[in-house]
Amino acid sequence: MITGVNLHKWFGELHVLKGVSLEVAKGETLVIIGPSGSGKSTLLRCINLLVQPDEGDVIIDGVKVNDPKIRPEWVRQQVGMVFQSFNLFTHLTALHNVMIGLTKVKRLPKAEAERIARFELERVGLADKADAYPAQLSGGQQQRVAIARALALNPKAMLFDEPTSALDPEYIREVLDVMTKLADEGMTMVVVTHEMGFAHNVADRVLFMADGVVVEEGAPEEVFERPQKNRTKAFVAKILG
Amino acid sequence: MRKSDRRLHPASHLVRRILSGVIVAEAALLLVYLAGVFGTYDLGYALSLLPPRGRALTTGLLTTLGFMAVVIPLGFSLGFAFGWARTSTAWPARAVATTYVEFFRGMPPIVLIAFAFLITIVLLKGNDRIDLFAFATGAGVMALAAHSGAYQAEIIRAGILSVPTGQVEAGEAIGMSKGTILTRITLPQMFRISLPALGNEFASLIKDTSLLSTIGALDLTFQGKNLSSVLITGGGSLDLVIIMWVEIAVLYFVITFVVSRSLLAIERRFRVPGLEAAQL
Repeated sequence: MITGVNLHKWFGELHVLKGVSLEVAKGETLVIIGPSGSGKSTLLRCINLLVQPDEGDVIIDGVKVNDPKIRPEWVRQQVGMVFQSFNLFTHLTALHNVMIGLTKVKRLPKAEAERIARFELERVGLADKADAYPAQLSGGQQQRVAIARALALNPKAMLFDEPTSALDPEYIREVLDVMTKLADEGMTMVVVTHEMGFAHNVADRVLFMADGVVVEEGAPEEVFERPQKNRTKAFVAKILG
Repeated sequence: MRKSDRRLHPASHLVRRILSGVIVAEAALLLVYLAGVFGTYDLGYALSLLPPRGRALTTGLLTTLGFMAVVIPLGFSLGFAFGWARTSTAWPARAVATTYVEFFRGMPPIVLIAFAFLITIVLLKGNDRIDLFAFATGAGVMALAAHSGAYQAEIIRAGILSVPTGQVEAGEAIGMSKGTILTRITLPQMFRISLPALGNEFASLIKDTSLLSTIGALDLTFQGKNLSSVLITGGGSLDLVIIMWVEIAVLYFVITFVVSRSLLAIERRFRVPGLEAAQL
């Protein structure tokens, strides 16, 4: 479903991705872990071309997407993204946050867009918050609306960039529950997270990154319980405490 | 929940009370003063001068309103274009916009108006197919608009920069084009943030149209100056001059008040929790 081949990215002098490859099968959940500054977010942003890789290929559903002939806007409609800081549109209600992609990107009629938006809000358990503005919602609710906004475009895969890192502890559960439900329903997902419980229980595979390279990759129990590389051992020991 | 959000902060109640106190006190002082003036006032003489005064002030009012109708939209358009250019990633756009802002902000509007007027006279002199004075006045009006545009450019720039990059990124992530992000995300948020500051600038600009009287435009201020000399040389009554300036002041106040109230109504209409501009 998603393939990254030998991806490189420089920000000025800084070599952030040093030849990263990854492969996510349809319906699979891949969790990316690693210390901050290891290039996880950049890798995720390369997949939907929010960041253009300097070298290497991104292939989604058999199409090489980092190609000048392909519009990045089209690619981003195929892959939904959820941000650490939610980034709900401040001036729009929850309903209109979910609708705007349908009306302004997919050009659906308003009534149709509203029907889909209400359905997606229902799916994340926020049907009753349709008319609330982001500032009137808790962090957990905002992040669930953000998930609904991405899902409304009916993406082939979802990218999550530390979706619970900015949340107060009491709201983390409700967001992880929505994500777990999505994974169970067979959504293809790439998740950057520090939530080791989620990685352990939901991920099909875990990928450990450090310093812009993939250090180790495997089933969660392999990476967490029998890490092979020293760097992975050190990180896992620190994180599982 | 929504309703409680509209409730004012206790501090703003206090400010409101102090403000209304000040207004009442000022009004009372003005009344006492006017009563004094009217006490020594030759009513018959004042009434005999009512029709010419009325005509002069009507012409002045219409001229001032006409200037406003040009200067506000033109100044705003310039401010919007150059303010946006100042946030551009293309350096030539930024350089042009920065030069514009620094030039027009760095000079007193009255100097700009005089320059524009005189340069136009020099350039177009001897061309008798055009109304030279009208052209030169027009140039003065443009100079004033350009001056205000420089201030408005800074307001717009601040507004655009205050929209967090995450908002743009979120728009990109759902596949929006650059144009859609601009019109649906950046601009609606920017306007909500910038409106109070723009209203402030409009109020200031309305009163700055009085500077056009220095190049002989027949606006309210010009009529005031003109009538002053007529009245003083004619009847020698300073009281009538004061009354007339009070009338002019009231006209300016009403215009400015109507414009700022309208902007406040727009601001309220589009107010959204979490996007309130800093209260001035």
